Amino acid sequence: MFENLFNKDNKVYVVLFALATSLICSVLITAAASGLKDRQQENIDLDRKVNLLRAANLLPAGTKPPKQEIVAMYDARIRDVIVDSQGNVIQKDTKDSMHLYFVRGEDDPEAVAGYILPINTRGLWGKIYGYLAFENDGQTVSGFSVYSHSETPGLGGEIESNWFQNNFKGKKILNSQDKFVSVGIAKGKVENLPKNKRENYVDGISGATLTGKYLSEGIKATLEQYEGVSISFRQKELRAKPPTEAKPAAES
Amino acid sequence: MFKSKEEYLEILTKGIWTENPVAFQVLGICSALAVTVKMSTAIVMSIALTAVTAFSSLIISMLRKRIPSNIRIIVELAIIASLVIVTDEILKAFFYDISKQLSIFVGLIITNCIVLGRAEAFAMANPPIDSFVDGVANGLGYSMILIAVAFFRELLGSGKLFGFSVIPQFIYDLGFQDMGLMVLAPGAFFLIGLLVWLKNTLPGISTEKR
Repeated sequence: MFENLFNKDNKVYVVLFALATSLICSVLITAAASGLKDRQQENIDLDRKVNLLRAANLLPAGTKPPKQEIVAMYDARIRDVIVDSQGNVIQKDTKDSMHLYFVRGEDDPEAVAGYILPINTRGLWGKIYGYLAFENDGQTVSGFSVYSHSETPGLGGEIESNWFQNNFKGKKILNSQDKFVSVGIAKGKVENLPKNKRENYVDGISGATLTGKYLSEGIKATLEQYEGVSISFRQKELRAKPPTEAKPAAES
Repeated sequence: MFKSKEEYLEILTKGIWTENPVAFQVLGICSALAVTVKMSTAIVMSIALTAVTAFSSLIISMLRKRIPSNIRIIVELAIIASLVIVTDEILKAFFYDISKQLSIFVGLIITNCIVLGRAEAFAMANPPIDSFVDGVANGLGYSMILIAVAFFRELLGSGKLFGFSVIPQFIYDLGFQDMGLMVLAPGAFFLIGLLVWLKNTLPGISTEKR
């Protein structure tokens, strides 16, 4: 049995070869994955920050300044906040607490110029992660961005394109009777909708009806979950100081 | 060990043109449909696939006398898959923005028939350097079709090239509309079909012998 160990078709050789191949391949992959992990994590964190700033309209779409600038801008303008289900800011995580971000005022770091909700919803092929930012009136969307998704490039993948994300700017989550309706993705163009609905919809992506549907549902669910926060903003409780308009910090 | 320039040139022309993987062997169609909506993704995909095909052919060819024939496909796949995962990890670490655009397609190189096809048909029977050249050639042949298809799809489907609008506004004002079909997968089918037809009817270069 062992006399021809290096014969290609010896059964022991086949098993040994398979084992050796698996071992070498797995060592290679593990080395690549763990060796590059820190770098990848850094990229992911940075990308998340860029998208957060983009949603808050602090970074123009399509630009990506050097890392230090992004981190500095993030530290200066964004604050991590924990709230309870009623929308009151609390200090520690509790069972039903939620995380979100406040946009600090440009001149006054204590003022709240707006807030950003994390969006985490199912898409057509996988999860969609993004941010939806609001002005401090608690109803006007100031921006939207996506930092991770697995939608079809060119179709559902257009959710990360500028034209789609810019659509969200200035849309309302309240209808003309001031009732909560969320902001949804229309099938086709917003122009074709009745006039009183246009404020609550953005242009859809042709060829990506399902992505739009899931994203609309996800946004609505998130907004319902955070409605307490939005209400406090509408009642001006969280607006500590007069609103300072959120301008791209790069200009200052 | 090394062959003459002419012989490598022959392997190259075979892979790029006469036996083009997409237009002649009709392999790799699936990804040719998926990543050709935009030029930028098509080009990165081309580079990634060419690199993976070349190196997997090289490695498999070096091992060809050692690989037991009854488990050869599994071994080939293990090597290809490892290479693809390593490529993906490198892209994520150093070219994060591009890797985000390609999303799942880098992983799908594993299932691209061109890579396994070349490993099985060429690398198992030829010396390493020939196999490497053959891998590059087939990668380039695939890239050529991919980029041609992406060019027409992006131009006709969204009026852009590399994300920049190239069709002037006055043409739209005259009633021109972007061709929605080109953004969808069937558009790529038609284009690939036309390209295959074009390649096989060009006089003097057709290899289809009847």
